[in-house]
Amino acid sequence: MGRKKKKASKPWCWYCNREFDDEKILIQHQKAKHFKCHICHKKLYTGPGLSIHCMQVHKEAIDKVPNSLPNRSNIEIEIYGMEGIPPEDIREHEKQKSGGGKGSDSDDDEPAAKKKAAPALLGPGPSGVTPGILPTPMGPVPPGMYSGHMPMNPMMPPFMQAPRMMMPGMRPLFPAASIPTSTPNKPTFPAYSNATISAPPTTSTSSSEPKENGEVKPPAANACPLVTATGAGSKIIHPPEDVSLEEIRARHAKYRPRPKPDAPAPAAPQPAMITPSTSQAELFSRQVAAHMSAAVAAARQQQAAAALRRPMMQQVVGVLPQPQLRVGVPVSMPPVMGMLPVMPQFNLMRPLQPGMLLPGGMMPMGMFPGGVPGLPMMQPRYR
Amino acid sequence: MYNQMGTTTNNPNKDLEVTSPPDDTVSALEFSPPSVPQTFLIAGSWDCRARCWEVEASGKTVPKAAQGMDGPILDIAWHDDGSKVFMASTDKSVKCWDLAANQTMQVAAHDAPVKTCHWIKTPNYTCLMTASWDKTLKFWDTRSSVPMMTMNLSERCYCADVDYPMAVVGTADRGICLYTLEGKPAEFKRIESPLKHQHRCIAIFKDKKTKQPTGFALGSVEGRVAIQYVNPTNPKENFTFKCHRSTGTTAGYQDIYAVNDIAFHPVHGTLATVGSDGSFSFWDKDARTKLKPSEPLDQPLTKCAFNHNGQIFAYAVGYDWSKGHEHFNPAKKNYIFLRPCFEDLKPRST
Repeated sequence: MGRKKKKASKPWCWYCNREFDDEKILIQHQKAKHFKCHICHKKLYTGPGLSIHCMQVHKEAIDKVPNSLPNRSNIEIEIYGMEGIPPEDIREHEKQKSGGGKGSDSDDDEPAAKKKAAPALLGPGPSGVTPGILPTPMGPVPPGMYSGHMPMNPMMPPFMQAPRMMMPGMRPLFPAASIPTSTPNKPTFPAYSNATISAPPTTSTSSSEPKENGEVKPPAANACPLVTATGAGSKIIHPPEDVSLEEIRARHAKYRPRPKPDAPAPAAPQPAMITPSTSQAELFSRQVAAHMSAAVAAARQQQAAAALRRPMMQQVVGVLPQPQLRVGVPVSMPPVMGMLPVMPQFNLMRPLQPGMLLPGGMMPMGMFPGGVPGLPMMQPRYR
Repeated sequence: MYNQMGTTTNNPNKDLEVTSPPDDTVSALEFSPPSVPQTFLIAGSWDCRARCWEVEASGKTVPKAAQGMDGPILDIAWHDDGSKVFMASTDKSVKCWDLAANQTMQVAAHDAPVKTCHWIKTPNYTCLMTASWDKTLKFWDTRSSVPMMTMNLSERCYCADVDYPMAVVGTADRGICLYTLEGKPAEFKRIESPLKHQHRCIAIFKDKKTKQPTGFALGSVEGRVAIQYVNPTNPKENFTFKCHRSTGTTAGYQDIYAVNDIAFHPVHGTLATVGSDGSFSFWDKDARTKLKPSEPLDQPLTKCAFNHNGQIFAYAVGYDWSKGHEHFNPAKKNYIFLRPCFEDLKPRST
C-alpha cells in the first residue's frame, strides 16, 4: 500500500516544490519537466532512470535533474510522484504548509508566518538529501530497464494508488486563496498543459504599495511566482522572481531616483478626471486656467529640481540664514517670478543682476543654482 | 577606441558604432519621425540621461545634446513633429524635452515609475499615453498637469505600443489589453495571452495591403514571440515561434533568453528581435521564416529600432540584469550599433 501521508496536503513535486491537485498530474509533470531526456525528449520515470538512459543511449552523463531547485537536483535519488521523498523533506514541507491555518491539528505545528514562502519556493530547506536511504525498493535501475517500460517494474503500484490517496474531500478547495498571507504562493505559471492548477497565480496580492519613496515596489520576493522553464532540459536566463528585469534592476540602490526636492509637487495629478467624452476644444477651454497654473507650477518645480541637482546645494540651503529668500525655492518665489514661468533657466539667470528684484537683496551668487551655465546638461551622476 | 581589436571582439557584425554611447545600459532607442529631414537617434539610459545624435548619410554619428532626469529612463518617444522627445523615468514622471531649446518640462506623473510613453497623433486630437507600474494608463494633454483620461490596468505595465488607431498594453499578469484611439481613447478588448511567460516587449504590425494596424508581436522572457492578429480570419493565423535560445546545451540545459525588443520594418513589414543572448534576428512573419541571424555579441541586446524609411537598423548592447546584479560589470562598455538593413529585411520572395 502506498505510504501514508499524514495530512491531506496536496501532492507536490520534490524537485521544484510545486503543488498539484492530483498525484497523477504530478507524475505527468515530473516526467515532462524533470525526467525528460534533453536529447531525444524521451520521458523517463525517475531521475536515475533518466541518468542511465542518457548514459547508455547518448553516452552523456547527467549530473542534475533538469529544472530542479538547486538543493533538489540530486539525480541519484529515486522519486516518483510523492514516492521516495526523503522523510525530512516531507516533514519540512508539512511544516510549511501547516502554517497555512488548516493545520492547527498538525502535530508539529509552528508559527508558520515566520517560515513561510521563501524557503518553500527558493528552498534552502534541508539539503542533506542522503542518496543512500532510498525509500523505494528499487535501487538503480538495472541496465535494460532504463527504457520507458515502467509498468513492468515495482513503481507501478504507486501510480495506481496515488490518485486514490488524495481524498478530494479532505483538500480545501483553495487553501492558498483562503489564507493569502501565510501560504507560500502558487508557484509559476500554469504549465503548458495545465487546467489542473486550482488557484490562479497570485501575482498581485502584495504587489502595490506604490507610494514608497522612490522605491519600485514589485511584490515581495516570497509572494511571487517564479520564472521556470516549461520544458525539461532548458533553463530560462532570468532571475527566479517573475518580475520584470527593469523592476529588479530599479530596486538596486544605484538606480534609486534622486530624492525629490522637498518642494511641493504642484504638478502632481489630482484625482479629478476629465470625462473623456468632452471634445478637445471644450476640454481645452475648461482647462485654460489650469494650464496657466500648471505651467507655472511645472516651471517652479523645475527650478526646484535644478536647485537640488547638486547634492551640496542641499546643505547650502540649510546653512543659509534666510533660505526663504532663495529664488530657486518655489514656495517663497516672489510673485513676480511667477510671471515668467516658461523658461526657468532665464528666470534663474536674470536675478543675477544685482538689485533686480530680490526682496532683501540677499543673493548668494556663488551658490545660485542657475548660475552655473549648462548645469542641467552636465549634472553629475548622482547615485 | 577604434582599433581593430576592439571592433572584432565587441562588434562581430561589423556594424557602425555610435560615438559617445551612454554610460549605462540603453533602455530606449528611437529614430526621429519622417517629419524631420535629418535623421536623429535618441537613446534613454539607466544612467538617467537621454542623448541625441544626428546620424549622417555616411553613417557618422554626431552627439547633439543630452538631458537628464532624476531616475533611470525607461522609455522615450518622439513628438510627431520631431521637435520634442518625451522621457519616462523611474522618478515617476515624464518630461518633454524641447530639442531646439534644449529644455525639459514635466508633462506627466504617476504614483510609480513610468514604464512606457507614446505620442498619439490622430486627426482630432494629440496626446501622450503613459503606462506605469502603478497599474494605470494615462492620457495627457501635455499642457495640463491633470491627465485627460486615466484607465486602470489589471497589473503593472510591462510593455506597450501605439500605432493609430490602435494601442496595446502588456501587463505583469500576462494580460494584454487593446485600445482604440479613434475619437477618444477607449478600451477595445482584453485578450488572453498566447504566451505562458512574462511579457517583455510588444510591437504593433500593419496589414500588408491596407496599411492599417492589424495585430501585434509579443515577446516573452522565455525566448518566444507570438504573432497575434486582432481579428484573425482564421485562428491559424496566430502563431508563436522560438528565438534567442542557445543552440547547443550547456551542462544538459538549453539556455533560453528573454526577447528584449521587437521592431517592425516600416517598409517591408518584416521584423527584428533582439535578445538577452546577445543576438538580433530578422524574421518574415508571413513566410514564417528567419531571414537572418546575427553573430552573437558578448553582452545582451536591450533595444532595437528602424529609422523611418527602413534603411538603418539600430541596436543597443549592454547588460540587462538577466543574470542578476551579480553579473553586472560596470567596466563593460555599452554600445549602440547601426546597420544598413534594407536588403536584409526584404520578405522572402514566394
